[in-house]
Amino acid sequence: MTTLTPAASRTTTEAAPSEPRRKRTDSESLFNRVTLGVLIALALLWLVPIAWALATSLRPPNDIATNPTSWVSDNPTLSSYQEILSAGRIQYWYLNSFITSSLTTLLAVCTTSLAAFALSRLKFRYRRPVFLVILAGVMIPPQLLMIPQFLTLQSTGMLNTYWAVILPQVPNVVSVFVFKQFFDGIPVELTDAARADGASWLRIYWQIVMPLSRPAISAVTIFVFVWSWNNFLWPLLAVTDPQMMTLPVGLNSVQDAFGLPQAQLMASAVLGALPLLTVFLFFQRRIVEGIAGTGLK
Amino acid sequence: MGSLTAAGALGGCSSPVGQAFTGSAGPASLLNFWHPFTGGDGAQLVTMQSGFRKSSPDVELKSTTLVWGSPYYTKLTLATLGNRPPQVAITHVSRLPTLAASGLLREISSSELDEHGLKPDRFAKGAFESAHHGGKLYALPLDTHPFVLYYRTDVAKKAGLLDDKGQLTDVDGPDKFLDAMRAAKEVTGVWGGSIATVKDPATCWRLFWSLYRQLGADLVTDGGRKVVMDVGAAEEALAFIRRMSAEKLIPPGADGDGGAITLLTSGKAGFLMDGEWQLLAVQGAVKDKFDMRTFPRIFRDAPYACAADSHAFILPKAPSEKAQRADHALDFSRSMLEASLDWAKGGHIPAWQPTAKSDAYQRLLPQAHYADAAEGAAYDPAAWYSGADSNLYRRFSDVVASVVGGHTRPGPGATRMLAAAKDLAGMEAPV
Amino acid sequence: MSTATSAGTSARTAGSTRWTASGMLLPFGAFYVMFLLGPLLYTAVAGFFNDSLVKDGPGKWVGTANYAEALGSPEFWSSLGHTLWFTVLTTVPLMLLALTLALMTDRFSRGKWFFRLAFFAPFMLPSSVIALLFMWIYADQIGLAQGVVKWFGVQAAPSWLGDPNWAMISIAVATIWWTIGFNFVIYLAALQEIPRDVHEAAAIDGAGPWQRIRLVIVPMLGRATTLVAVLQLVASLKVFDQIYMMTNGGPDDATRPSLLYIFQTGFTDGRAGYASTVALLLFLIILLISLVWFALIRRTEKEV
Repeated sequence: MTTLTPAASRTTTEAAPSEPRRKRTDSESLFNRVTLGVLIALALLWLVPIAWALATSLRPPNDIATNPTSWVSDNPTLSSYQEILSAGRIQYWYLNSFITSSLTTLLAVCTTSLAAFALSRLKFRYRRPVFLVILAGVMIPPQLLMIPQFLTLQSTGMLNTYWAVILPQVPNVVSVFVFKQFFDGIPVELTDAARADGASWLRIYWQIVMPLSRPAISAVTIFVFVWSWNNFLWPLLAVTDPQMMTLPVGLNSVQDAFGLPQAQLMASAVLGALPLLTVFLFFQRRIVEGIAGTGLK
Repeated sequence: MGSLTAAGALGGCSSPVGQAFTGSAGPASLLNFWHPFTGGDGAQLVTMQSGFRKSSPDVELKSTTLVWGSPYYTKLTLATLGNRPPQVAITHVSRLPTLAASGLLREISSSELDEHGLKPDRFAKGAFESAHHGGKLYALPLDTHPFVLYYRTDVAKKAGLLDDKGQLTDVDGPDKFLDAMRAAKEVTGVWGGSIATVKDPATCWRLFWSLYRQLGADLVTDGGRKVVMDVGAAEEALAFIRRMSAEKLIPPGADGDGGAITLLTSGKAGFLMDGEWQLLAVQGAVKDKFDMRTFPRIFRDAPYACAADSHAFILPKAPSEKAQRADHALDFSRSMLEASLDWAKGGHIPAWQPTAKSDAYQRLLPQAHYADAAEGAAYDPAAWYSGADSNLYRRFSDVVASVVGGHTRPGPGATRMLAAAKDLAGMEAPV
Repeated sequence: MSTATSAGTSARTAGSTRWTASGMLLPFGAFYVMFLLGPLLYTAVAGFFNDSLVKDGPGKWVGTANYAEALGSPEFWSSLGHTLWFTVLTTVPLMLLALTLALMTDRFSRGKWFFRLAFFAPFMLPSSVIALLFMWIYADQIGLAQGVVKWFGVQAAPSWLGDPNWAMISIAVATIWWTIGFNFVIYLAALQEIPRDVHEAAAIDGAGPWQRIRLVIVPMLGRATTLVAVLQLVASLKVFDQIYMMTNGGPDDATRPSLLYIFQTGFTDGRAGYASTVALLLFLIILLISLVWFALIRRTEKEV
């Protein structure tokens, strides 16, 4: 999407007061109060599903059977969490998701930034056609390619390894754009001067451009990591051994075993939500900017 | 990819993380077992597995539950194609033809059977035959699980449907069965019988298939490429199904998520048509106020038939003998078969004859009241689109549900079934 | 540094630059060809063969038989219909509601973090968590959703995921809850880029808050709307995860979208050739709809 801007250039006026600095009329203040009321009500409504899962997960199983739609329990317990954790599978899923998402992100950041650098700085024949071919890639939904991707990895014998999960997620076209736009904004004089001093392009990329591109790197890192962490369809196909599943696929297999008590299902859901929610609480601004800046679902 | 070696060093190639990078099949003592059993079946299975764990301490059994239905077979297929299948898994024998024809299964040789004490005559005949494909044995049947009839003894008693031994009187034949349900309806005041026709393609299929097979009709031959459906018989079967709902003896839309069973357990229906595996669920709710019997013989045009399937152990084809671990898999299967009395407690009829013929099983009630259903077991037709939770189920159950609801008349319903069968048979077969 | 030197350097190194460029593009290019371009070509070609997932080697040439089967198959059309229905059910509220929420939130300088947290946090959750949450909320008899409806006096609460008429709507509601944060954040960012004096000028002109929003602010969000609209549309057309997990396309296939149809024909039935045909058709449809949609929005944007 050519409309994207690097996250870094997005102005955030969080600190600046959004209210016009002037004396409010009565109708204005009434309007604001009503708006605030509605907004708070909606925000609370939005928290209901998570709160509901949390409440359910803390209830003893027989409690749920007798009174399913109650919010509180007389004797809240963490036993469901203990059950899930002692089954010992979710720990593997955390680890698998962490390893595959990290490696996907690392490979994606390296390859896409390198390609973007060549497209942004180097003058070579066919630069424009190459760029257009890559650009066209945003129009290819990877989900539609699951059959050939599966067959490719099957023929190389890589299915049911981490590589099967990682490799198809690496060619992230949007990241090329984010990097290219950011690199385009770096003054030419900087790279020209280094070039005149006899530095190789690779060195310029590594020692000058990349260190200046922290905002773009962080945006792409967040975006690819979150996207890869939450990817479901591809890991579902690539990994069938329960111990090697990523978190989303593993959680789906928990739900498969619907003999589990509701409290344990909800405890799994909460545990599944936890990693990214925690990360989100710590890096709220960064993540929101990163997602808005790279702009892809 | 320098990180490959780095990670290998980090975890060591034998650790799970190392395996995940290299794709190795894990230590030779590991035995992966996949099954779709939850609820009561799942609990019985845990007991049976603990027996194996005790007797074979050197084998590390890893048992994995996956949701029943086509997703299960999809995952099994993907895992085998992906060179990491479980060493042993459960299949429905109705799915066996497709799995075997796809080359996903390892054949079990007769010398292996001998070696592990799994002689053919120790299995129920019908189930053992259905474990073959193209003359080769690919599975070891654990049970036969037919479609049966549940009834409330308290309701039946009040309706005058019990004989002096406290068992259900003759309900065979279309009119007798409907009369019995009518009498039960008088007692319950709501419905006579109950069956899940919403959100439950499998039950719809089983009802239809039981009746259709009792009429002696066949559906497809030649591995599913040729349709030999008897439209007249299908219409007759559908007409009987419609009669039950038109005469308001069964609900036109009880759902499969417990709706149909609840009608029985709450006393709003006297009969329930369902698989025997609901036994523990029903037992848990009404204790001893119910009994079971074979699904009634509604039509007499052919030998007795009731829709049935079998769970069976299969050995999905592994990339190497080292990963296959067939000995462990067969030991495990044998151990599970020996423990099939526990399995029978969940309702299933054991295929393992030493168990089926044992006094302990024959004393087991209400199991013994429908044990002869195994002889009338009507398995699904062999085709890539048929079998447990298949396309055929979905297509045919659409019609059955629509007929039960009164939206489609039996005649046009049978025509729709024929069209669906022809459609499926005409598709490019993947195997 | 003189221009002459710079030009001289580039002339001398033109050849080596070409090699450097190729080298730098190669790693990404290899992944791109291997996992996007190549598979797309395979998909286009495989549709003319009867490839099977479980049989080795290429299938037989079947010409346009797969296309004829797909275009004549009620399942293909019904799944496409479900995809479009889901797209309508989600795209419209996801855009309007996100815009409304962003406009409301933007009016307050304090507490913005709370609203952002509430509306955006669900977007960070994996789809399987969404499925677990909402299958419990929508559960028959014991679920929260039926409880709430009953509390409002409805006797027979619908089976949210079990009733073919409600299932897709229920999934759409869950999806809106899950993904609205994304559009919300884009709108909020766009709103924050509107200079404050625009608000003030409009206020001095005597425009009330409602008029200001309608006549001044919303028209300035054109670019964000284009972005949100296109991304949302494509995302909705690719729906799979939550439906696969919550209903697996049921009841009676009433929620089966095209991608699930491809998954089922390809991986459950193992008909790789036929599934490729459907995948290519869906690709063309998504491409077409996106282009038309993009053009439409561009035009309205210009008119405003």
